[in-house]
Amino acid sequence: MPMVRRYTRRNFLGFAAMAAGAPVFDVKPLRGIDFILQNSPTPRKFLIETMPGGVALFDYNNDGLLDIFLVNGGRITEALRVPEDFYRSDPRYWNRLYRQNRDGSFTDVTQAAGLAKAGNGNYGMGVAVGDYDNDGYPDLYVTNYGKNILYHNNGDGTFTDVTAKASVAAGGWSVSAGFFDYDNDGHLDLFVTRYMDWDADHNKICGGDWHTYCPPAAFPATTCVLYRNRGDGTFEDVSERAAIAAKKERALGVAFADYDGDGFTDIFVANDGMQQFLFHNNGDGTFKECALESGAALTADGKGLSGMGTAFQDYDNDGRPDVLVTVLPREIYGLYHNDGGGSFTYQSLESGLGALTSLSSGWGAGLEDFDNDGWKDLFVAQSHVLDNVKQIDASLRYKDVPLLALNHHGVFERADSGVSTPWASRGAAFGDINNDGWMDVVISNLGGPPALLLNRGGSGNHWLSITLRGMRSNRDGYGACVRVNGQTRFATSAGSYVCANDKRLHFGLGSANRAKVEVLWPSGAKQAIHDVPADQFLELQEPERS
Amino acid sequence: MIRLFLFAWLAGQTGTPDAVQHLHAGLEARKQHQIDVEIAEFRKATEIDPSLTDAFVNLGTAYMEKHDYGGAIAPLKRALELSSDLPVAHQLLGYALLAQGYAAEAIPHLEKVGAKEALGIAQIETGQLAEAVNNFGAALAERPEDPDLLYYLGHSSGLLSKNAIDTLLATHADSARAHQALAENYFVLRQMPQAETEYKEALHLRPELPGLHLELGQVYANSAQWTKAEVEFRAETKLQPGNAEAAYRLGGALLQQGKAHDALAELKRSSELKPDMPETLYSLGKAASLDGEPATAEKAWLRVIELEKNTSLAAQTHFGLATLYRKQGKAAQAQHEMQEFQKLQSIIGPPRSE
Repeated sequence: MPMVRRYTRRNFLGFAAMAAGAPVFDVKPLRGIDFILQNSPTPRKFLIETMPGGVALFDYNNDGLLDIFLVNGGRITEALRVPEDFYRSDPRYWNRLYRQNRDGSFTDVTQAAGLAKAGNGNYGMGVAVGDYDNDGYPDLYVTNYGKNILYHNNGDGTFTDVTAKASVAAGGWSVSAGFFDYDNDGHLDLFVTRYMDWDADHNKICGGDWHTYCPPAAFPATTCVLYRNRGDGTFEDVSERAAIAAKKERALGVAFADYDGDGFTDIFVANDGMQQFLFHNNGDGTFKECALESGAALTADGKGLSGMGTAFQDYDNDGRPDVLVTVLPREIYGLYHNDGGGSFTYQSLESGLGALTSLSSGWGAGLEDFDNDGWKDLFVAQSHVLDNVKQIDASLRYKDVPLLALNHHGVFERADSGVSTPWASRGAAFGDINNDGWMDVVISNLGGPPALLLNRGGSGNHWLSITLRGMRSNRDGYGACVRVNGQTRFATSAGSYVCANDKRLHFGLGSANRAKVEVLWPSGAKQAIHDVPADQFLELQEPERS
Repeated sequence: MIRLFLFAWLAGQTGTPDAVQHLHAGLEARKQHQIDVEIAEFRKATEIDPSLTDAFVNLGTAYMEKHDYGGAIAPLKRALELSSDLPVAHQLLGYALLAQGYAAEAIPHLEKVGAKEALGIAQIETGQLAEAVNNFGAALAERPEDPDLLYYLGHSSGLLSKNAIDTLLATHADSARAHQALAENYFVLRQMPQAETEYKEALHLRPELPGLHLELGQVYANSAQWTKAEVEFRAETKLQPGNAEAAYRLGGALLQQGKAHDALAELKRSSELKPDMPETLYSLGKAASLDGEPATAEKAWLRVIELEKNTSLAAQTHFGLATLYRKQGKAAQAQHEMQEFQKLQSIIGPPRSE
């Protein structure tokens, strides 16, 4: 294992300076964005109220600038009953698409894009982004409590609701979703997490006099959904056939990577209040849930986790994707190190997360290189589930600042994110909003506006941003394994919690001003480019032959 | 038992023939479970012969059986006036007085017959808490699993403790011990900032006082301030190098910070000071596993599952062993331990995060 845990004094002083140094981000207003995430908390403590906040960072019009799509909750009244009405026709409760302008401001294009309203029976949760029809324009999939919606990007600035044709409505309470190509046929398939079997008529209130939201175990578990893309604009529900539906879950987050290097993308599901699930892709259209035997299901003490957000990337630069799971306080964010051979080791304590996260409640999360030093750092949007948690436990808090922890050769140390105002944050989407080579973050906050955390950059470190263009593989290149100067990223826009990240693969290069880039495409094609100049946005097209 | 005793005792009693006749009629009614007839006959016997001790004792007994404790008091008192050395009368009168709320008056009667449990209850009522604790403790030695005794011992000890603390706070409000007591109270209420303030004040006044650093460390541990917790636990281990708890807590704080090597040293030390503590052995195994000492981990964990059966700690330990064996490539042993883990989970429920 190449993780280095012994430091020279010079290294140590460097870390200390960084830890005590200037904030990494500037908290900037999103000019032109007037969105308020309407979660509509009520005294009846409907569990859905505390869960929404999808954010997508994607370039819907291919102008080279990241646009922002924000998922709204809906209006909830105390009288809510089945069939629920969330008043999504009211503009206050619409999802919103904001187009980024050249000056960094945003314009609300929701109505013009055909994304207004979202179905009165739908309470919004999350969003996934992928070019499912390989036409070069990213499509949107919005998850809801209710029915999910697939919006096809028409390529002219508008979208069309193609849910019925595509047969991907799911139903129930969907939370996170992600596009990936599980059968490597070049067409993006779709995985949807569902939280529990719940409706307004079966809501419960817990906590006795405290009157709180109930824990997930108070409600029946349910199954996730896997849709196979037939390649003709329609999908088929293969959850049963693929053995995804064989497991009852309380699933929130999902992330994808090929953890055992067999060329097929696997699925990690963050489950709330139970063991986590790792679905190994058998390569024959089926999956085997193997988290327990792989060591990625429980803590080192054999305890379940309140899994919410997740990331599936290589944090220690050993070439293998590791798993991060954000959880509730009194637990510790789970970090499962991929040892190779299909085996994971719970490494939250060794990596420093024990000291950083045991009183934190984490949602959206990412392993991204925010200081461009060649090591993926950790960012987590934080807030407790219970809005009255302070009354129950004075050492906990509802609103919180995000966690930024810089990665020092596999050990995380807290850094100043620049955020001093605590929020009730949920989603966190990662991308280079202003195309300056430094990763930024957009956070969704319950009952409030989203926050843009613009990376200050400026350390002098170099970077490389890679956009994949699949030819035989899916056009987005999702599932590709990309290695740059000893670092590895797995191409995906999924991960975090209810969010879709910038699909461009960002690499910090440290002091290196040139890079060696190697790509293993989902088709099996291999590509290597040497001596690539740093500090550029590079588009790589899949070779016809490897 | 009391009845048999009464019958034996009555065999030797004398009185006027009419009175004795009513006495025997009362005893016959008792056999027939005709309690009101029984009371009427005994009452007539006492009216005919006001010096017939056994009639008063039986009348009192009958009222007790009827749960008419107020009615029992007068005849039992009269019986003791006639014959002060009647254990049964003392015992029944003690119970009756206690039941009617006359705890102070009941105490001498209960003391005479050594009725420890009732005496303890009476002493709680009269504020003789130390005596009550002693009596419950003595009674518990004879009936160690009696739920009433366990309850009363806990209750009286708690009251005694509260009294002592109240006195401490009233008489020595500025003492280190008073601040410590307040801190402990805040800790229980999970008001950690206040607990921290009080512990710091106590340490300021008496920095050498054993236990203060340990408790302050636990305040920090509860708030996940592991660096501060480590400092306090380390201070306690310096004050009390022979304190296994302090070494265990220090090991735990180090482990939380990922300092597996240092944690292992402290946990080994704790285990030497106080061997066979399952929690210490479990943490020791965990630290050893993280620090690359699988043999030490295995040895500690195997000992835990010898000591612990069907507990969540046993389940955790089987899981730890399964992980250890899996990483060592010992597939069969890993599978066995995982099965044991799952078996325990099905019995005691899945381990929950704290």
